[in-house]
Amino acid sequence: MTDVTKDATQFDRIIERYEKTEESLLAILQDFQREFHYVPEEGIRRLSEVMEVPASKIYAMGTFYKALSLTPRGRHTIKVCTGTACHLKGAPQILETLERELKVKRNGTTEDGEFTLECVNCVGACAMAPVTIVDEKYHGQTRPSKIMDMVKKQVGS
Amino acid sequence: MEKISVTIDGRTFEAEKDRCVLDVAHENGIYIPSLCYNSEVTSSGGSCRVCLVEAHQGGRMRLVTSCNYPVRKGLEVKTDTPLVRRIRRGVLELLMARVPDSEVILEMAAAEGLTEPRFRKDEGESERYKCIACALCTNVCAEVVGVHAIAMTERGADKKPATPYHKPSEVCIGCGACAYACPTGAITLKERDGVRRIWGRDFEMVRCSVCGTPYIPVAQVDWIVSRTGKDRSFFDKCPDHR
Repeated sequence: MTDVTKDATQFDRIIERYEKTEESLLAILQDFQREFHYVPEEGIRRLSEVMEVPASKIYAMGTFYKALSLTPRGRHTIKVCTGTACHLKGAPQILETLERELKVKRNGTTEDGEFTLECVNCVGACAMAPVTIVDEKYHGQTRPSKIMDMVKKQVGS
Repeated sequence: MEKISVTIDGRTFEAEKDRCVLDVAHENGIYIPSLCYNSEVTSSGGSCRVCLVEAHQGGRMRLVTSCNYPVRKGLEVKTDTPLVRRIRRGVLELLMARVPDSEVILEMAAAEGLTEPRFRKDEGESERYKCIACALCTNVCAEVVGVHAIAMTERGADKKPATPYHKPSEVCIGCGACAYACPTGAITLKERDGVRRIWGRDFEMVRCSVCGTPYIPVAQVDWIVSRTGKDRSFFDKCPDHR
């Protein structure tokens, strides 16, 4: 992954789109997450400065929400649903296949920074079990033999 | 302030409306055990569940945490019924299982005749071995000190107070109010050779010009001076020699 040095202006560009109120914090953190694939420490420090909100408070938010990550993540996120229905329909095999093929452990990021692999517990789409979510796209009735092709097709590599 | 009368354990007291049951009870010599509440901290309380009591009002009874339950007209509180004792024992057993090393909780449990919890004891990491995640430390830091050096991070079983990224905080003034307020002694504050260590940061202490005792962190003096405009020389001497 190319390491972009993050200077304050990158964060300011996002921060200035919002009102200077505490209610904007979560939306800004989500934007950081989208832009950088995680919430960088420098981003929290800058946000704290500009918004005049204690860094401890923003850091606490970062640790609270599952949608925010404080460590760098892959360009693409693959979530394997391991809820009850998906589990019965073969989610463990899907997960194992992805772990093997991508050479990454669950909740880890591949060495090239392409993929982060995660488990989630039920996404409310049990009728489509087993479900795998690549970035924002939901795939139903996934199978171990087809999963890698499907992922490659979607991300185009 | 509107005064009302409230009954606690069969005795009737005059009290200011909306004060919490726990404060009114304690002021009148009725003991209710508690951990997470400090009457000096508005945002404290309601998390440890140790101070549960029966609140009878309008023909109904509810178990409530006395530290954040307001006294109102016609309220009758019972602090020592079989139900209260049973539930409190359960709460203490859970706390014992969660933080097996806390002397305070062991003592409280012993007072209820408990030595071992029914539940499996938590292995825990040493750093939060005594922490019950009550947030009194973070509330004190934010509300009383006004520094916001620490906040409650993570959630669920992992919830714990921490500085951002668990790094030494730049804003912490080393006052130690968090360690002082902590009901279970979970926050370590160490002092040696005029240096105080807390939350992973070392603070140089000001020595009293009379007795030579290091008694306040330089960073705390800076904070007080910047906030109040008080003369810095005031802190040359410790409270005993002023």
